[in-house]
Formats: sequence, C-alpha cells, structure tokens
Amino acid sequence: MSVQGLRPGEIVLRDATRSFSIRADQARTFKGLLLGARAADGPPPVPALRGVSLHINPGETVGMVGRNGAGKTSTLRVLAGIIPLQSGEAASGGRMVSLLELGSGFSRDFSGRENIYLQGALYGFTKAQIDERIERIVAFSELGHFIEVPVKTYSSGMFLRLGFSIAAFLDADVLLIDEILAVGDEAFQRKCLRRISEQIAGGTTVVLVSHDARAIERVCERVVVLDAGRVVFDGPTAEGLLHYHRLMGTEHGGGESVRAGGEREIEVTDVELRDGSGRAGTVFRTGSPLQVAVILKVRSSVPHPELALEIRSADGNRVFSTATEIQATRLVFEIPSLALLGGDYDVSLAAGDRGVEADGDRTVGFSVAAEPGAEGIVDLRGRWRIVEPAQVGP
Amino acid sequence: MLHYRYLFSQLVRRELRQKYKGSALGVLWYLVNPLVLMGAYTLMFGFVLNVQGASRPSPYPIFLMIGIVVWTFFAQSLLAAAPSLIEQGGLVRKARFPREVIPGSAVMVQLITFAAVLVLVVPIAVALRGTLTPALLLLPPLVVLLFAFTLGCALIVAVLHAYFRDIAPIIAAALLPWFFVTPIFFVASKLPPVESHPFLGTLLDWVNPIAPFMLAIRSVLFYGRAPGLGQVLYTVVAAVVVLTLGRAVFTRMEGELAVIV
Repeated sequence: MSVQGLRPGEIVLRDATRSFSIRADQARTFKGLLLGARAADGPPPVPALRGVSLHINPGETVGMVGRNGAGKTSTLRVLAGIIPLQSGEAASGGRMVSLLELGSGFSRDFSGRENIYLQGALYGFTKAQIDERIERIVAFSELGHFIEVPVKTYSSGMFLRLGFSIAAFLDADVLLIDEILAVGDEAFQRKCLRRISEQIAGGTTVVLVSHDARAIERVCERVVVLDAGRVVFDGPTAEGLLHYHRLMGTEHGGGESVRAGGEREIEVTDVELRDGSGRAGTVFRTGSPLQVAVILKVRSSVPHPELALEIRSADGNRVFSTATEIQATRLVFEIPSLALLGGDYDVSLAAGDRGVEADGDRTVGFSVAAEPGAEGIVDLRGRWRIVEPAQVGP
Repeated sequence: MLHYRYLFSQLVRRELRQKYKGSALGVLWYLVNPLVLMGAYTLMFGFVLNVQGASRPSPYPIFLMIGIVVWTFFAQSLLAAAPSLIEQGGLVRKARFPREVIPGSAVMVQLITFAAVLVLVVPIAVALRGTLTPALLLLPPLVVLLFAFTLGCALIVAVLHAYFRDIAPIIAAALLPWFFVTPIFFVASKLPPVESHPFLGTLLDWVNPIAPFMLAIRSVLFYGRAPGLGQVLYTVVAAVVVLTLGRAVFTRMEGELAVIV
C-alpha cells in the first residue's frame, strides 16, 4: 500500500467510500450460493465511509471524533490497509503500527515477551529490530515478571499495557490508536499520553480516535469530526472539539426522562439551558452565565415540595448539587459565572416531596468549550506571584 | 514478502510449539501418527485383506510407508490450511501483512514434519531395498515440487474456506475416497481389474494429480531408479500451474479477509 512519492508518515485518503454488509453470518455458504442467495437478500449494506478525504502530513497529530458509528474506526482500519475501499484511494508512506482491537492478535498460550516478537513481526519488523527495542517495551509496560507469563492470565488493563508499549516503542512512522486508552488506570493513561507526545516530538504521525476530549486536546493539534461517514469538520483542535460538542449536544435538548412510567404528584417536565442573553444552547464557555429553565407539573399538592438539581461530569461524578423547597411551576436557576472547565456535563433535575434525590426526572447534557491553560473540571485559574526570583549563575 | 520472513518463521515455530505444548511426547506426536498408520495399513492390506501378488511389492511395509508419508503431508496440509485464516483472524484484523503467510506457515509446519519422517524412512528404505543410487539425488527436488503443488492447493482451500465455510468439511470428506484411489497401497498396473481394462490404470496414475508425485518419489526410494520423463514433466507442470493458480485466486479474494474472518 505504500505508494511511491509519499513521504514516510504521510497519509492520503481521497474520496474513500466503504460500506459493510450487516448480515449476522458474514460468510456465505454453499447452500446460499446454490440457492442463488445474493447480497440483495437481507438488509442493505450500511455505509461506513461516504467519500472521506484527508491529507495528513508527516509529524501531524490528528484526533478523530464523532458519534458511535460515525466511521472513525472504519477510517482507521482503512488507513491501516486492513480493509479495502470500494472506491477512492488510501495510501500511506513509511512503516505503520496500529493499536486497534485490544488484545487481538495475541497468542494466549505464549508469554508477553514472546508476543512482543510476534506483534513486531506482524508489522514487518525483523528479529534484530525487535531485539533492539524489547527492553524499552518491557520496561514501559511495567508488567514486571508477568512478561514471562502466558498472556491468557492477563487482565484487560495488562493487555492494554502490553499492546500500547509494543505500538509506542516500535518507532513507526505512523501510529494509529483507536479508543483503547480508556481501559488503563489513570496513571498509565497519563504515561501513554506522555509517550505519544514524545513520539510526536520525534516526528511520528499520530492518528488518535477517542471520546475523551481531554486526551485529544492534550496531544492533537488538529481534529477531524466525522458524522455519518463524512468529514464535517477538519481544523484546529479547539474549534474542532467545540464543533464535536455541538454535534453531540443535538442528541439531548428538551431533556430525557430516565424514570420509568408512573405519574407522581409533582414532576419536572421540561428543562432548557440558556446563555446570558437567554438564548437556548448546549455549548457554553467557562466564566460565562448559564441559566437552567425548568417547567414543573403539579398534579396535587405535597406538604414540602422540593426541587433538586445536580450537575455531573461525563464520567458520572457529581460536580455540584443543590435542593430547594419551592412553590412554582416555572423557574430559572441562574449561574452567574460557570466555573466548569472544558468537557461534557449533565444537568439532572428532580421534583418531589422533601428528600427527593436528583437522579432524574429530566437530564440535559451540555458541553463547555476548552480553555487554554487549564485542565480538569473546576476553574481555579489564578496567578503565580514570584516571591523570590531564580538566581542564575554560581 | 521478504520483509515478512520473520513473521513467517514466528508463525511456524508458534504452531509447532502450540500444537503439542503440555503433552508428554510433544513434537514427537508428529512422527507417531504416520507410524501408527503404517502399522495399521500393513496389518489390513498386507495380511487381513491380503493384497495379492505383484500388486503387493516386498517389503510391503516400506512400500506402504512411502505412500503414506507423502499422502499424510498432502492431506494434513490441506486440512490445516483450510481453517487457518479464520483461526488467525486476530492477526488478519490487526495489520496488513501479506496474508499468504498464514496458510503458507500451516503447510510449512507439515513440511517440517514430513522432512522429519523422511529422515527416518529414507535410510530404512535405502538399506532394505539397496536403493543408494544417483536417482536418490532427485528426492529433494521432488519434495520441493510436491511442496509447491500442495502450497498452491492450500492457498485456494484456505481463502475459499474463509468465504464459504463448507470448504473444510468438503475437503475432509473428499480426502477419504481420494486416499483409496491413490496408489498408496497398490501398484495400479498390477491390480486385477486394471490388467483386463488398462485404461483404469492410466486413470489411477495420471488423472489423480497427487499420483505422479507419489509414483516419482516411490520410484526413487523404493525402486532406486529415476522416474519416467512423463512423470517428471507432469510434476513440474502441476507444481508450477497449481502454485500460480493458487496465488492468483488468493490475491483476487484476499481483500475482504479482515471483514469476513
């Protein structure tokens, strides 16, 4: 697949189109063949890529985001040369290593060390080339003596450690990584991101698929947003993530009820998020106002009606919650200055008699655009004040 | 392709080790099977069914053994190659290495076994039959031709089975009758029905593509003489044609492998 004229690390995708048959049994049988079964039988093929064009220069770092089924993984597999296109062109220069399916391609009865050699060989490396790198791979994986144990005893976290270490230390010209960092523990994730950054500094082209906007933000300078098999945005990371959040935001709106049936005395029936000027929206900026407009339905009076509001981060942790005794059917919760940093959040509201938990009459998602110079959830940005300047010289 | 030599050798070694890992005899099992087969067939065809007269050359166990090891290599290669792409689906879905290495390594594993068995069988045959002649030099090229022929068949069978999962059982079913019409335990021209209908002998010796390989190898090992020109030409042409065809079919069909396995 290495096309003449492409520099090592360069990737070109021109009008790439690919669809997949979604029959449960992909393989055809003779019976089907004899009975004249054709592709026309059963559901029509599902398009995964509908004319994707990308040009990635050597040393670029591209984050690929989009909803589930938007074509991210298909794009990676096409780039890796594993899946052929139905029309269009895909080519890349130099050596490519991909981290696509976690744990696939490992021989379960063989040790971690033996699997390193097999994986290296799979990407076309020679024994000498792997010998050169193996100690760094083993060290990075932190698997210790488990490196000599058959991998069938490994946990998914250990597979990630091994898989990532192999991919990251074979020193390829192109590194493709699919949504796998989510498995590792926090510390190892951070270590992986640092290693990816190192590789980028070393001139490796990296294409990273992730739902973790923060990971993308940390390592990628460019973001490609895919939706329904098409590129809907291709540009700088900050703008790209905003675009992505907006795309995801359209899935919410109005608020979804997660509570099963049954009418209760009072209930939240609608939630809308608004910016400072009262316009409805789903993407907000740190430090700007946010209003939560709530409509309640009161069917019969309860002694102590209470409205609970909770804000949760994307990983489900409670960021903030409050409950108020209140008599109203329409009201607005005003946050003068949003103290949340870039990421996805949920607002959940519930009404009921005193003591009700805000786990959801209605839940609305919103996104906060990333800010430079700060990561995390809460905006605690301050200023450094120098108490004593550094002494230069002896 | 040369780039992936190391992958090829890794797959072969892995297969050899994995197969009998944890068993007491280990890789020796590869040798036990043909030896047991030889014993059983000697008993059946040599004594119980008592294949008679000139169609039963002496010493019969050696005659039989040569046929069996050649057949075992061919049959086991097809049986191992057919499901190989599906068994190694994890590798196929992971990287873009040349897919031929997978059925190729399955056949290579069988070739190694075949060679190991030959190391045992050749000295015995040569000693008992006194066939240490210049014709013996033809054995290595004949084995290479047999390997090429088998590899070609294996490529076709493997890629077809990935698309049509009926191929492996069909092969398994076909190999049994195929075994009985192959001149493994008889000399076709000396069979009673062939003596009255000579065309049957031509059918058995020439239409069955594996027969000329078997006859040529046996000619060298058992009779100590070079195979006829016809046989030599047949094996060369069959090896080249089948391997070329196998590669062509494989290349044509390999594209979707990562999607279907």
